[in-house]
Amino acid sequence: MRWIRTIVPALLALAAGAAALVLGACGSSSTSADAGLNTPQGVLTPANEPQGGGHKGGTLTVLNHQDFEHIDPGTSYFSNDYEAMYATQRPLYSYTPNDVSTPSPDIAESSPQISSDGKNVTIHIRHGVHFSPPVNREVTSADVAYALERAANPNVANPYYLGYLSAVEGIPTASGGPVAGIKTPNKYTIELHLTEPKAQLVAASLVLPYSAPVPVEYAKRFDASKPSEYGNYQVATGPYMFKNNSEGKVLGIGYQPGKSAVLVRNPNWKASTDFRPAYLDQINIQIGGDTNVIGRQVLEGSHMVQNDPPAQSIVKLAYEKYRSQLEISPNAGDHYVAINNSKGPFTNVNLRKAYWAALDREAMNKARGGSLVTVPMTHFIWPEIPGFQAAGGYAGPKYDYNEHPQGNMAVAEKYVKLAGYPSGKYTGGKTLTVVGATGNPEAEDAQIANQALNKLGFKTKLTLVDKSVMYSKYCGVVSEAIDVCPNVGWVADFGDGQAVLNVPFNGKLIVTNGSNSNWGLVNHQKINEAMTAAEKVQGKEARAKAWADIDRELVAEAVAAPYDWDKQPQIRSQDVAGVGDLWNVGSWDYNYTSLK
Amino acid sequence: MNGEGGGPPLLRVEDLRVEFPTEDGIVHAVDGITYQVHRGRTLGIVGESGSGKSVAALTTLGLTRGQGASIGGRILFEGRDLVTLADRELRAIRGNEIAIVFQDPLSSLHPFYRVGAQLIEAIRAHRDVSSAQARERAVELLGLVGIPDPRRRADEFPHEFSGGMRQRAMIAMALVNDPKLLLADEPTTALDVTVQAQILALLERLQRELGMAIVIITHDLGVAAEMADDVAVMYAGRIVETAPADLLFSRPEHPYTWGLLNSIPTLAGPREERLVPIPGAPPSLIRRPSGCHFHPRCPYAQPDHARIDPRLQAVPGTPNHHVACLLEPRMRQRLWEQLSSGRSPDEALAAAGVSEVRG
Amino acid sequence: MIRYIIRRLLWGVVLLIAVTAIVFLLFRVLPTADPAKLRAGRLQNPKIIAEIRADLGLNKSLLSQFWIYLKGVFFHFNLGYSYYSSASVRGLIFERLPATVSLVLGGAVLWITGGMAVGILSALRPRSRGDRASMGGALLLVSAPEYWLGLIVLYLFASDIGQVRIFPGAGSYTPLTSDPVKWFTSLLLPWFVVAAANAAIYARLMRSSLIETMGQDYIRTARAKGLPERQVVLRHGVRAAINPIMTILALDIGVLLGSAVLVETVFNIPGIGRLNYDAITHSDFPIVQGTVLVAALFIIVANILVDIAYAYLDPRVRYS
Repeated sequence: MRWIRTIVPALLALAAGAAALVLGACGSSSTSADAGLNTPQGVLTPANEPQGGGHKGGTLTVLNHQDFEHIDPGTSYFSNDYEAMYATQRPLYSYTPNDVSTPSPDIAESSPQISSDGKNVTIHIRHGVHFSPPVNREVTSADVAYALERAANPNVANPYYLGYLSAVEGIPTASGGPVAGIKTPNKYTIELHLTEPKAQLVAASLVLPYSAPVPVEYAKRFDASKPSEYGNYQVATGPYMFKNNSEGKVLGIGYQPGKSAVLVRNPNWKASTDFRPAYLDQINIQIGGDTNVIGRQVLEGSHMVQNDPPAQSIVKLAYEKYRSQLEISPNAGDHYVAINNSKGPFTNVNLRKAYWAALDREAMNKARGGSLVTVPMTHFIWPEIPGFQAAGGYAGPKYDYNEHPQGNMAVAEKYVKLAGYPSGKYTGGKTLTVVGATGNPEAEDAQIANQALNKLGFKTKLTLVDKSVMYSKYCGVVSEAIDVCPNVGWVADFGDGQAVLNVPFNGKLIVTNGSNSNWGLVNHQKINEAMTAAEKVQGKEARAKAWADIDRELVAEAVAAPYDWDKQPQIRSQDVAGVGDLWNVGSWDYNYTSLK
Repeated sequence: MNGEGGGPPLLRVEDLRVEFPTEDGIVHAVDGITYQVHRGRTLGIVGESGSGKSVAALTTLGLTRGQGASIGGRILFEGRDLVTLADRELRAIRGNEIAIVFQDPLSSLHPFYRVGAQLIEAIRAHRDVSSAQARERAVELLGLVGIPDPRRRADEFPHEFSGGMRQRAMIAMALVNDPKLLLADEPTTALDVTVQAQILALLERLQRELGMAIVIITHDLGVAAEMADDVAVMYAGRIVETAPADLLFSRPEHPYTWGLLNSIPTLAGPREERLVPIPGAPPSLIRRPSGCHFHPRCPYAQPDHARIDPRLQAVPGTPNHHVACLLEPRMRQRLWEQLSSGRSPDEALAAAGVSEVRG
Repeated sequence: MIRYIIRRLLWGVVLLIAVTAIVFLLFRVLPTADPAKLRAGRLQNPKIIAEIRADLGLNKSLLSQFWIYLKGVFFHFNLGYSYYSSASVRGLIFERLPATVSLVLGGAVLWITGGMAVGILSALRPRSRGDRASMGGALLLVSAPEYWLGLIVLYLFASDIGQVRIFPGAGSYTPLTSDPVKWFTSLLLPWFVVAAANAAIYARLMRSSLIETMGQDYIRTARAKGLPERQVVLRHGVRAAINPIMTILALDIGVLLGSAVLVETVFNIPGIGRLNYDAITHSDFPIVQGTVLVAALFIIVANILVDIAYAYLDPRVRYS
């Protein structure tokens, strides 16, 4: 559960002259089996791109506009961090590039064994996996246990462990020391004992980086400093490692914050213990620069990729002139307008439905770049996530307020009347507070969303602030009681309906002090209870159905006004056989990419 | 035309004309003047500001070249015509054989270089000597002009000198290369009266010791009286009267000269005696008055003076005294007699038997 | 003179403390991200946030927080710790300093020589065709936004994406110590951009300053001494005309050292300006505090140097 922070400085956008560009070349039929995905001819997706095609060896140059947020596997929680993380760290389970629903055993040697009562998870780890220099020794279950335990250490400050591991005995009160519910009966076995039957959720979360083993005796002294220094001295289990010196120091050698990073082959990695091909010898990551310049350098250059969102004008350029070097990936999350379900006029479900009907989803998406990078959103679980079809597929549940992606004022007015305003326009006195983000396309989307409110008769006060401020000080802060937040969005941690729906829409998780990711302060008892029950459901199909039902319920309650199922573009040079990760917004996977 | 020094003149200016084009028209700064200076003698050029006296001196050194000025006539220095001389050769003369001292020593000395260094620069521009030798010479000159402790003061900056000291330093700088001719453009105007006297005394002493010719340009008749052997009075770009000093001051011929003499306050005169300034203001050098350029301000002008342009002519009886005036010589004598006994111009007119006719 | 310098230095220290206080306050008052939450990540655990707040000392009074910070800065040169980058602020800044210094000083050399030359030539021939052309060109360059100019030169001349592939493009900066040749060539385009607008300004400054100077009496004296014209112009004219320009130059360089962010971003030069900018977008205020402090230090030092230099350049000032 994390959300993309696409940092688009207003400065650069202005200088590059990028207003909203209409990429709308939604011409020819798509090549993917899913017609609704709308991917134009000739554009690759992680589903249809070749999974190889280059040779072994060589150095890949990565140009990123944004820096990593954290490179400590226990703290890392950002799509931009993940490619480096998953090339150097092996969690218990991980995804192959084109799969977002079935994890493969990574450090684990087989699928987790879940007890029938759902309260125990047993995992056997592989033999013969070694840490990189300077630790060098074999990985044991104690290292995996320590990795999970240190997530609770405030010096590591893992942001998501409580959301997934709170059922593990001893975790809620842990602060970095040994945890009662994490046991290692022998060198290659780890057991998790839960106080509630949430084994499925716990097991699913083990694809996140926090399950990657961390050597206890080596890391302990780094974890004692505030904050932990382990990230700057980390060792690797993956095919690659951050370049370091003989003491293990990475900072200043393999990673210069804000400047560059270098990944080299891990000499202790054995291909026989891993499913990754690891063609490249080295990955040089350069950080910073203007996104337009970076984009051109990648498109016109050799052996280069960009691994964070390219500029809109570059996507357009790539689509027109370098189409084979462009990849568009679904499962890049969603964007919707959060409306306050707990306070103000939108506590009335009919007004919420009215707004859903009034919002012009196509205009909102056009501002983001059109059908090349967006799909009109009709419910809350998105393509590729289990439960998507059961929840309504591309067309979505059939309600009149959901039928018109361009917005329909007649339907909207009908619901306003149902809400108790006979004229079809809101005549109550309240002025709505609307808080959006600066920059493009957020500002334009905020305007469109705001206009829809005005058309319904609402008086509004629209404020645009920096995105991080919007998230931390306004939207989702209970005391601020913001009525409408048009620029929020969500990305799933892993391929399960819970990862998509729980945090944004579960009223039981709302905290009064602090910021929430439930930006609409959605708190409907029936839905909350359904989610609590669905958390415990076992089995992939059963879970997909349970969460799909919740999705339908969310639509019936019109908890928010959706508009965009996002697709993420990525670019590469023409002599790179790039393989994108469907589970990480299509980012280029260093373990599978090769040079031609 | 004047001066009795034996031999040919050191400097002879012949019919010099200097005009500057400006946006408002052509400025006739110097309109055909002729004078000369002999070795060891001092010529005083007297006039109001705007009379063209400074321009003539600057033109002698070629310092008006390059401003779009058109220069006519000849300036003969030891037989060479400085008007047509090539830049490089003229530069060899500047600061070397002919030197100039300017009015305001504070602004005329470079504020950022030490005084000694500026003298040394003047020396080494014309002499191939070592810096030590140049320094010695500079210190010697500073001592010569009466600056105490010259070795220490050579390392000071101009703003550390008093006004009088600065002017002495400027004079020293002008003399470093033993010039044959020194042009002094209002050398004492920026100084107070007591210092003024010292500087003039210094110049006289130096002239005696070094035997150089001096052209002293001033608006102050007192200075001219003190220093000059010969005097030329300039008005509106022309010389209107020229004579040996004693003759000019005892028997001036031009009404302008009378006006200058009468506007000097004297300690000896009665307290009620009103000063008689010359009425009016100096004319524009772009659109000069027709006929005699002085006629609009002349109390004795006749109607046809507005039409006829007088030329310099010898005063009858004194071949070295010239004046450019249309009044009859005897009339002039009578007028001067009246004026010098304290009468006002109107009274003098009446007494001289001329009906007052204003042109 | 010594007393003068000491007074200036003390005043500089006072200014530095004042700037620190203002920046410190700004970050506590304006609605930016809470550092504890930044460190804690997105899914907020109130217990962890509380612990981090205690660790960061955010619970203490504003004054004691400031005092702790101030002590750290002045006694230990400790500028704080960046949680976003997991590195000490001082280390990050010192590591980035050479790039910015290379960029700014190199650009300064270029704009001084270019601007002065054009300015002097224009001053000597005012209103000539050459003068009008160069002043017109100067106006154009001054008006061109730096960022835009950077993009233009890249699209025209960069060896990777340009039309005429001559100079190394964005991201090619290498430190002087690792490869002097590459350091030099990678900075050619950035130096041009930095120099362009400034050269234009200095050309105009030099032109007007020199025109005014050449009208002074001491120039007439220099000519009257019989000095060659070149000596008159350079040793007498330019020497005096340069004074106001030197003072502005020192200030310009001081300011630029802290703020060359636009050029650094376009050409992807890892300098202080970019560090500051990245820190702002991440709400990483220890770094912002540190870079603002360092930038203020540059400006204050530049000011002091200007005061001292002016006393050296203009002897008349020394005794006032």
